[in-house]
Amino acid sequence: MIKKIIYLAIFFLFIKSSCFCQEYFTKNGRISFFSKATLENISADNNQVISLLNTKNSTLRFYLLVNAFHFPKAMMEQHFNSDYMESDKYPSSSFKGIVTGINNFDVEKDGSYSVSVNGTLEIHGVTKNITTTGTIIIKNGKLSATCVFKIILKDYNIEIPSIVINNISKQIEITVACQYEKRS
Amino acid sequence: MKKRSIKNILLFFGVFVVLASTTGYFLWNKPHTNILATEAIEISAITLYNTFITDSIKAKKTYVNKVLSVTGIVKSVSVNQQNQQIILLKTSEPDASVNCTMETNAIGIKIGGEVLIKGLCIGYINGETDMGLPGDVFLVRCYYST
Repeated sequence: MIKKIIYLAIFFLFIKSSCFCQEYFTKNGRISFFSKATLENISADNNQVISLLNTKNSTLRFYLLVNAFHFPKAMMEQHFNSDYMESDKYPSSSFKGIVTGINNFDVEKDGSYSVSVNGTLEIHGVTKNITTTGTIIIKNGKLSATCVFKIILKDYNIEIPSIVINNISKQIEITVACQYEKRS
Repeated sequence: MKKRSIKNILLFFGVFVVLASTTGYFLWNKPHTNILATEAIEISAITLYNTFITDSIKAKKTYVNKVLSVTGIVKSVSVNQQNQQIILLKTSEPDASVNCTMETNAIGIKIGGEVLIKGLCIGYINGETDMGLPGDVFLVRCYYST
């Protein structure tokens, strides 16, 4: 009887650990953006991105606070939050999607894999479907992911003030770079 | 008389342009808030996290975009991809933390030790309820003191 209970406990522990080991997360992922401008290029970094990747069901999620984007200049940061992103009204952004091609690789084996990502991106209170490509790298049992894509500001109702409309690009380039930890 | 008034107008216009461009230049290049020189709200990591969980409206109004001095027990110390030090402070929820991105890397931080961290609070990110991962309260541009 005791033996049976021990076997059962080991079985459940195995099931629990095998489920969790397919989940990877970070709470300090990095998302940055770049926009070419006539007077001065605009770039900012956010190193406080929460991301979860489940390699079993291929789900990928990102969550960030808009006011966490840090600019080289305080005035840029102020304009970004008040005039463009209205971060008081729309404080967060998210992505919820599926990674295609992720179940073909062995997470225990080093390698670099090209994947396709499809899902919904919410910025400035507007949700749009996006598809892009990215790379997942596995090195020494650690998983990291990178992706670069562009968005058009108008698609997310982000208005450029008329005084600078000719000096600021209508699209921005977003770079995602996350190093994940295995969930234990 | 006419020549003098044109001269005065041009002089006034010149002074105006110089003043406007100087003001614009200084405003555009004004530095970020000096965290160390700003008076901070003192709070413990546990109370800060609990306030965001139980009364998010009050927490946002009181703490977001404000400089805080947070006391707490160190859960972990690591570095992010930019080689910035990340110090996690314990909260009432085992998988949640007050997540501090340091402006200058602190030396001699011990896991389990009590620290005081001063930084700018940017808010709380809800975790992923479907996957059972609670969120963190984030502080950026942080400084450490014992």
